[in-house]
Amino acid sequence: MDRKSNPKLSDGTLLSDLINLETREVKMRALSDPELFELEMERIFAKTWVFLGHETEIPNKGDFVVRDMGSDSVLMARGSDGEVYVSLNVCPHRGMKISTHDVGNTMTHVCIYHGWAFKPNGDFIGAPVEKECMHGKMMTKQELGLKKARVAIYGGLVFATWNIEGPSFEDFLGDAKWYFDTLWCRTEKGMEVLGPPQRFTIRANWKTACEQSASDGFHVLTLHRWLSEVGPYRKPGSEGGGGDLTPEMYGTEVYTAHAHTMRCIELDRKIRRLTGKDPSELSIKEKLEALPPPGITPEMLPEVLRRFSDDQLRVMAWRPPQVGNFFPNGLFEFVYIPSPDGVIGVMALHAYVPKGPDKLEFVNWILAEKDTPPELKAKMLRLGVQLLGTSGMVEQDDSDTWPHQTLAAKGAVSKHITMKYQSMYENNRLEGWPGPGDVGDGFTKDDTQWRWWEYWYELMTAEN
Amino acid sequence: MLQQLLEPTPLPPSIKANRIPSGSDTYNEVLDFLYDEAEMLDNLRLGEWAELLTKDLEYNAPLRHTRSTSQFDQTYSRNVQHLHENYGSMLMRVKRITDTKSAWGEDPPSRIKRLVTNVRVYRIDDSDDLKVESYLLLTRSRFDFDYFDLIPCVRHDILRRENGALKLARREILLDQVVIGTPNLGVIL
Repeated sequence: MDRKSNPKLSDGTLLSDLINLETREVKMRALSDPELFELEMERIFAKTWVFLGHETEIPNKGDFVVRDMGSDSVLMARGSDGEVYVSLNVCPHRGMKISTHDVGNTMTHVCIYHGWAFKPNGDFIGAPVEKECMHGKMMTKQELGLKKARVAIYGGLVFATWNIEGPSFEDFLGDAKWYFDTLWCRTEKGMEVLGPPQRFTIRANWKTACEQSASDGFHVLTLHRWLSEVGPYRKPGSEGGGGDLTPEMYGTEVYTAHAHTMRCIELDRKIRRLTGKDPSELSIKEKLEALPPPGITPEMLPEVLRRFSDDQLRVMAWRPPQVGNFFPNGLFEFVYIPSPDGVIGVMALHAYVPKGPDKLEFVNWILAEKDTPPELKAKMLRLGVQLLGTSGMVEQDDSDTWPHQTLAAKGAVSKHITMKYQSMYENNRLEGWPGPGDVGDGFTKDDTQWRWWEYWYELMTAEN
Repeated sequence: MLQQLLEPTPLPPSIKANRIPSGSDTYNEVLDFLYDEAEMLDNLRLGEWAELLTKDLEYNAPLRHTRSTSQFDQTYSRNVQHLHENYGSMLMRVKRITDTKSAWGEDPPSRIKRLVTNVRVYRIDDSDDLKVESYLLLTRSRFDFDYFDLIPCVRHDILRRENGALKLARREILLDQVVIGTPNLGVIL
């Protein structure tokens, strides 16, 4: 068990003063304090597993992309052995950035400053004028490689950690794996990115985006209300028309020990609309045929049915995870969007990369199954771009909100105001819910987001 | 096959021999079109702007990457883009702002100037359409923030004459920034 600490800020405030575990409140100051930011980079981003991208971004030997693990730039590269490696993008000689490109292919990363060269796996190859031994004789070449992170590939997603001896990736996922498998591991061939990620900067602390990513359901009702005013969730005339997103708030919410959370939103209304039948009279297979998971066609279903347990299939056909997060800074969306062409699935992944206490970089990947037919991939891509990310009609409202919270975290008075997470599930577990983890049933609540803060606090107070 | 489906139709080239000289009647008409368009958008006359669009509109903003000089032509990505729109989706973007009370990303609206310069007009072989290249510097002032978000870009447009008036049939927006420095592209470029 890790020893606990209670970090003290320079004005004497203790970390424990900023969070009230009984009343489920967090002081605004915690959102954007520069000293806390430094601690977060060390205690969270340099310790836990961090999501960096997808292996289909670097399909060939020597392919690389430059990414961020918290405040550190890293190279994510495919080595000569075909494996994915993640190394600090900083030359061990004098600290120059090794690659100043975003993407490329090379078997030799040469630092432009003094010419030290490294393999895609981070190993030191040598320095110019080998016989003169620029790197001296005090350290071996093995010691002069790029600092290497530990890598885990899960469903094609690339995660890395600096905690070389720390918990396994499976341990990190914990109970979330049972659900995440139904998203990321649905087909033998797996998923692929439909292109490089969108990237844009928001003048907001990373936690404004990330505490929301931990399955904030309530904000959809107001911040994203346009969806039901003119957008895809405007109800058909047969259901009264007009704008009410309330029905989308019902389902199951799952929150796990390491603060991976998800909203499993009920599909029954959509299935009723598509089939004209009462979903309770349909088999799991019939429901999945009527409304397959995003990116899956009826033709692809037999494979999906083979890969999962009856319990998992039941969740996929009834209340599949549609939005949720990877702690600390990943968000996923597997949403079913009504469109003139029928319901189109959109799959996206975001990383909210911390860029200082008051800035984050929003990175947005759009994905499909490799087996998804090209025409459907094209529709998913367009709909994804139109709703999410840089220009997304949904997410442009989020990105305009987080800067205001960040500013409020600076006010002499408002920094003491608390964010409240006091809406709680009272009858936690729906009888017969087949999945693991902590589970809330019914209308959305704050428990998932509160779990995010609890785990944030646990890591921030862990000594080792 | 997949690439063709994911990416927009390639634009026709800007051929030097087809350049329409500055100051000619056609050039002036194009310039007026771009100035009037900027004025409409700056003043939130979005419904009026939507009438300038053809029904087969393609409206795109590729991603950009930092790569070496020798790879300059590979700095654009046209599968995933920042904007990947057709006529219907552009109308939805307009309606989101004009027909709802919840387009918070632009409500209250930014104060915006669209500064249009470096306009070049080309005839297109085997077509009556015009290819127009222009620079755009969009300045965006939001709330009481003391800074401007700047969005510099080059636009490659196809203009088509319909019932005597010029319409926008294609637009590709080539942004300078790899990491866009404004919280969203909820504004029309």
